[in-house]
Amino acid sequence: MSVRHFGKPVVRNEDRRLLTGEALFVDDVHLDGMLHAAFLRSDHAHARVLEIDVSGARAHEGVAAVFTAEDLGDYWQPGPLLVSPPPIERLEFHQATQVPLARDKIRHVGEPIAVVVARTRYEAEDAVALIDVDLEPLDAVVDVEGALVENAPRIHEHLSSNLAAHVIQEKGDYQAVRDRATLLLSRRFLYDRGVSASMETRGVVADWSAKSGELTVWDTTQAPIPIRNGLAGMLGLSESQVRVIAPFVGGGFGPKIMMFYPEEVLIPWIAMRLGQPVKWIEDRQESFFATTQERGQVHDAEIALDENGRILGVHDVFLHDTGAYDPYGLTVPINSQCTLLGPYRVPNYYSEFRVVFTNKPIVSPVRGAGRQHGVFVMERLLDLAARELGMDCSEIRRRNYLSPDDFPHDHEIIYQDFAPLVYDSGDYLPALDKAAAMIGYDTFITDEQPRLRAEGRHVGVGIVSYVEGTGIGPYEGARVSVERNGRVHVATGVGTQGQGHFTSFAQIVAEQLGVEVEDVEVVTGDTGKFHWGTGTFASRGAVVAGNACRAAAAAVRGKVLKLAAQLLDVAEGDLELTGGAVRLMTDPARTLSFGALAIQANPLRGAVKPGMEPGLEATAYFGPERGSTASGVHAMILEVDPETAMVEIRRYVVVHDCGKVINPTIVEGQILGGVAHGIGNAFYEQLAFDANGQLLNASFMDYLVPTATEVPRVESDHVETPSPFNPLGIKGVGEAGAIPTGALFAQALEDALDLPGLEIVEIPLSPNRLFELIREAGTSSGGKRSRDNVE
Amino acid sequence: MEIESEFVFDGPRDTVWRLLHDPAVLAKALPGTRRFERTSEDQYEGEMEVSVGPVTAASFSVKIELTDKVSSERFTMLVDGRGNAGFTKGAARVQLLDHELDRTLMRYRAELQVGGRIAAVGQRLLDSVGKSMTRQGLEAINHHLQGREPPRRALIPRPAALALGAILLLLLLLAVLL
Repeated sequence: MSVRHFGKPVVRNEDRRLLTGEALFVDDVHLDGMLHAAFLRSDHAHARVLEIDVSGARAHEGVAAVFTAEDLGDYWQPGPLLVSPPPIERLEFHQATQVPLARDKIRHVGEPIAVVVARTRYEAEDAVALIDVDLEPLDAVVDVEGALVENAPRIHEHLSSNLAAHVIQEKGDYQAVRDRATLLLSRRFLYDRGVSASMETRGVVADWSAKSGELTVWDTTQAPIPIRNGLAGMLGLSESQVRVIAPFVGGGFGPKIMMFYPEEVLIPWIAMRLGQPVKWIEDRQESFFATTQERGQVHDAEIALDENGRILGVHDVFLHDTGAYDPYGLTVPINSQCTLLGPYRVPNYYSEFRVVFTNKPIVSPVRGAGRQHGVFVMERLLDLAARELGMDCSEIRRRNYLSPDDFPHDHEIIYQDFAPLVYDSGDYLPALDKAAAMIGYDTFITDEQPRLRAEGRHVGVGIVSYVEGTGIGPYEGARVSVERNGRVHVATGVGTQGQGHFTSFAQIVAEQLGVEVEDVEVVTGDTGKFHWGTGTFASRGAVVAGNACRAAAAAVRGKVLKLAAQLLDVAEGDLELTGGAVRLMTDPARTLSFGALAIQANPLRGAVKPGMEPGLEATAYFGPERGSTASGVHAMILEVDPETAMVEIRRYVVVHDCGKVINPTIVEGQILGGVAHGIGNAFYEQLAFDANGQLLNASFMDYLVPTATEVPRVESDHVETPSPFNPLGIKGVGEAGAIPTGALFAQALEDALDLPGLEIVEIPLSPNRLFELIREAGTSSGGKRSRDNVE
Repeated sequence: MEIESEFVFDGPRDTVWRLLHDPAVLAKALPGTRRFERTSEDQYEGEMEVSVGPVTAASFSVKIELTDKVSSERFTMLVDGRGNAGFTKGAARVQLLDHELDRTLMRYRAELQVGGRIAAVGQRLLDSVGKSMTRQGLEAINHHLQGREPPRRALIPRPAALALGAILLLLLLLAVLL
């Protein structure tokens, strides 16, 4: 192969369309006779529905229809359970999934009660204001601990309490090692909620054609194929009658894979019923209630260490807030439970969690999907233990890393993909060393920090590790074909929300076929083009769909070679693919272009022989038996003003291992985006609910997302331990940037402030909260926190 | 939210008591009031239009019930306000005490739940706007007491106040307005 595409910082194929406004987003879909929908959403977090009067709305000008739960008839059904509980012994799970429109009860602020469809969105919203709802407010359950007390108001009447699940996973015998530990350290850790804040909110447009008997749905979903399959089932159609298109989507981050949102269930049904296309676009404020959120957990954790700072075991009991419903099963808390183990050797582990219903919006994965919590708990325990042992924070990690000989490493518990938590490969020490070298860790501690402290400045360093289970099954597929114009067409089922699939998949295919990356046209997220697959989640697009693209391209390569060998009457082994053509290596003048071959492969006369197929096309699937475990180290130097508690990130370094890198530019972009999310999560973004379940900061005026001034330049580098679980050797990277940021902030802030009483055991922080913590820790300084032990 | 404060009226307790129960006075004192009337001995109903920050011209219907009444001394207002931008629900306890120079000291304490869009996007303004609007309403009543018309205030954005029976003002203000 003459030119290598894999691993190169190729400019993204999709950027021209995105930058020139040619990319289609759901709101760009305009159809003749299209109606617009608006939803009436509950102002109350917990209430009984007594009466809904929509007569005023129905009579409003421009209104085509108004629907309440009652109007849906048999179509009203609770949503599916997306992920059933993993096969863990003694596991308890209570299902309560969301409904299209509230019928008897309201369970969170923003839950939809009625939908109005009108000529314009303005008219629809005006009519929504005319709906009269009589509710009987009930006491709300907001706090996860309060949810489980004996007389707590019950959110789901069919259940005996607000407990959604109870899971224990265990390896070894923690109690036994506890008795011989040199150091036992236990703390309570809090992690609170935020939103994903994707730039594009959700939206659905549906169009039913009675003439063709086909339903077309444009949806911002991360999982177009499961949406198509589910809609067909709900609407009594064949799957082939439904086409779901997830065009360009402005950020997914997890919430857009929730299935099914009420709007996804209702808009297609309404379009069929009215025989007119219907559009609904979520506004920003709706997005704060109607799109899923994440991260409320409370952990009571203990670590046992020997005198050398080696981990003997960890004991963790936590509560996970699933919000009003639990359609996503246990994915998030299982991720927390598993990811806590991190890159470390933890011989004994006891982990128990309870999932709790609360009167808050639904929780489903948001970039990191529970991994943040596990990483935060473990990294904090190690930091606090290092402090007790007079050891450096990087040193305690060094001593506990799994070594390259430990792989594959079985943690002996079950992961979110139902398979045992087995790390495929990794090498953690080089990443730590590289990150430490990049940020100048040792000299910062020995020279720079003392100098800055002498100047009265509060500058600290942090360095943390994490792993990220990525690229899980079940499978994805791709179809690759050489077109008559010589270009290569790739279709795969995953949707794209900014990950650069149009380029990285093209690179994989270009590499196999010897064409230029820009000559490979990729289509994602359109069930009309490819209709097998699951979706874009769990950092799996590149790993699973990417390997499917590779397999399909390899099969096409085989067909190209076979046909060319036949036409040129030479052996396949004498041929090479380059520049969009096949040529004889010994006589490059003897060449056949891909276009000419494509025409020959689809003849108008003669006969396609038995065992042959027309065209230069192949479809292939890839289903990894297990996920691949990515990992990394983040390091940061941060300055705090102890009087205002404002922070300034002076350096931010990420060294990441996502196995073989397809495109370093795209990987860097993913990491930078993740870090921005992580910084928001660590220090700015927190949803504020009052005791009645009212969300008090449902706008970007009050909910602070980091802006360009808060996000520093991120210096990144890679280490590569290829995954043995897939032919390309790649691992996912989509969530990596966001995962360890909270833990990193905590360590760096403690180091910068150097207050003996200051322990950061909660995230998100904020300048306000940090100010309080500083005040609580008192003003005594000089506690000699020791970074002395650097080896 | 909780609001606790006091206000001195330039008049005796029984006069203040009367004004606080006169819907016409209250309606005038509250800028956003479109309608405010007494529906029975201790019940009032009104319609108001409120703006809080980004929530503009939201209309609310408000019901107020007075309980625990001891004439010229104290009462409790139960407030239930609903509109398309949210709701407010709660109670305010009001106490009137003699004050020097034949004046009246009013102490009030309100506990209100505020929900919906007003709480979600107007939260930052609730407290300060609520307090200042309450004050404004009370001052308007006081001006009335002094035999003057309530002055026109243009400086503060005028969310409407909710109406209230006596402290309806408060509540409303607080509540809805806020």
